[in-house]
Amino acid sequence: MNTWRRRIAKERQIWIMAVPMIVWVLVFSYYPMYGMIIAFQNYVPGNSFFSGDWVGFAHFERFFNSPDFSTIMRNTFAISGLNILFGLPAPLILALLLNELKNKAFKRFTQTLSYIPYFISWVVVASILFTLLGSDGLLNKLLIDFGFIREPISFLGEGKYFWGILTTSNVWKDVGFNSIIYLSALASIDREQIEAGKVDGIGRFGTVWHIYLPGIRTTIILLWILGLGGILNAGFEQQLLIGSPTTAEYSEVIDTYVYKYGVQLGYYSFAAAVNLMKAVVSVLLVISMNRIAKKFFDTSIL
Amino acid sequence: MRDYLKPTLGSRVFDTANVVFMLVFCALMIYPFLNLLAISLNDGVDAARGGIYLFPRKLSFSAYELLFQNKKMLNGFMWSILRVIVGTVACLLATGLLAYLVNIRHFSGRKFMRILFFITMYFNGGFFPVYLLIVNLGLTNSFHVYWLPALFNVYFMLLISSYIQNQPDALFESARIDGAGEFRIYWKIVIPICVPVFAAVSVYLAVSHWNSWFDVVLYNPSGKFDTLQVYLRRLLLEMEGLQQIRDQQVLYNRYRDLSPLTLRAATTIVVTVPILLVYPFVQKYFIGGIMLGSVKG
Repeated sequence: MNTWRRRIAKERQIWIMAVPMIVWVLVFSYYPMYGMIIAFQNYVPGNSFFSGDWVGFAHFERFFNSPDFSTIMRNTFAISGLNILFGLPAPLILALLLNELKNKAFKRFTQTLSYIPYFISWVVVASILFTLLGSDGLLNKLLIDFGFIREPISFLGEGKYFWGILTTSNVWKDVGFNSIIYLSALASIDREQIEAGKVDGIGRFGTVWHIYLPGIRTTIILLWILGLGGILNAGFEQQLLIGSPTTAEYSEVIDTYVYKYGVQLGYYSFAAAVNLMKAVVSVLLVISMNRIAKKFFDTSIL
Repeated sequence: MRDYLKPTLGSRVFDTANVVFMLVFCALMIYPFLNLLAISLNDGVDAARGGIYLFPRKLSFSAYELLFQNKKMLNGFMWSILRVIVGTVACLLATGLLAYLVNIRHFSGRKFMRILFFITMYFNGGFFPVYLLIVNLGLTNSFHVYWLPALFNVYFMLLISSYIQNQPDALFESARIDGAGEFRIYWKIVIPICVPVFAAVSVYLAVSHWNSWFDVVLYNPSGKFDTLQVYLRRLLLEMEGLQQIRDQQVLYNRYRDLSPLTLRAATTIVVTVPILLVYPFVQKYFIGGIMLGSVKG
């Protein structure tokens, strides 16, 4: 006890700085987690988290039994699935192709341009989409000029185009930036291996298949496992900005649903229940994906 | 002799195709911005006819003139810049200090704090619980929601921490022997040696603050602290754009050549240009940041 106290006294300066940090993390990260218990209550805003009536799993049941449930899960998995299907291989392919460019200046130029979309906001992306896909926008104009259609299509107003538009804009935004990590992995491959391959006459495609891809195997697996672990994160800002009431059938995902019920309609406990369900499943997914990575590929993200 | 080094026909065909592909790819990356720029510089009524691709058909600066007279947009600009500065500096200094503290060898709470913060990286309940907290704390409709809830960033803590770890410990130890306090060591020694990693982190922070809009909508519904992104978002909700144009046309008779389309395009350019301007200078830093991250991971 005495040594303890002496130790604290010696470290007083450090603790003076550390305590506000601990307070901050407790307030802004841990207390909200604790606040999720309102998912099991009928919470009235303004009251403390203890004063609500306990209702058990009623809100969860309500969500599972609601007609929205299947739509939301379908949209979440579809949007996420498409993002994984196209968003994960695209940067890998881009990196492999960039790696084959002979002209280093051109390679750098292409890379520089490819990162730009990553740094702009979704609001700007939405504005671009509204401009390009609007009824008098570029895409409709081109389609009409080339005689594919007669009347402009309302791309953003019809639900059936929504997933495609979202996936395309996600890939457009992230492909360049996500290729950086693959490129740096490619750069760390032993040059001698590549030279040896050349001498053996395996050709350029052979070099990619037998040397490059195995060489960055760990990076690929790690990123793809991370991607699978985040399958419930289907994005959020995109849907709010690009989606509209007419496309809600295809754009409503778990997070936008929580926003709608919790913030806009004020069903706090119900929204908290949906949110909690997602958070729990997400953590389990990340942990189990990490287990898989550890067990089968001997790499880990946690 | 050295026959294997000679490119085959197939190889050369591939090279050409690859270059063509990359040119198309570059165009796809940059064209949307060029298109918006052309539209924003065009006469509004004329632009509504469509068909503007790369260059304005009927040059007009009305959209920009109107924008830079618009109080709402200028206010948005000011709040955005203030948010970027305050948010970035606060998070950088706070997170940097945290990263330093968890690296002090003789600090008994070192491991505890590392774990305390690390857990939150994986266990965070999404935006809704935080929303409830902010509402309960009465932080809504204030500027503080822009920097306070994002004061410490665990990912950047790990990044800076791994950078500090790679520095010789003697650097801090000798200052300690000279009787310098921990905060002084942080200020005088840690910050100067951490400039590369701080630069990388601040790029990410600044960009994310500049691009944020959802927390503005969520926490500041009054509109008093609307940032530029939110102003643009209002224009996207068409009606707002029309209303503003009508107001302006009543005020100034000369703005007859405006349309929501050109106004929106001009605003989008104004929102994007600051990022593009700083972009060449920061590029090396953010790539450095990723490399640091991958070393750690």
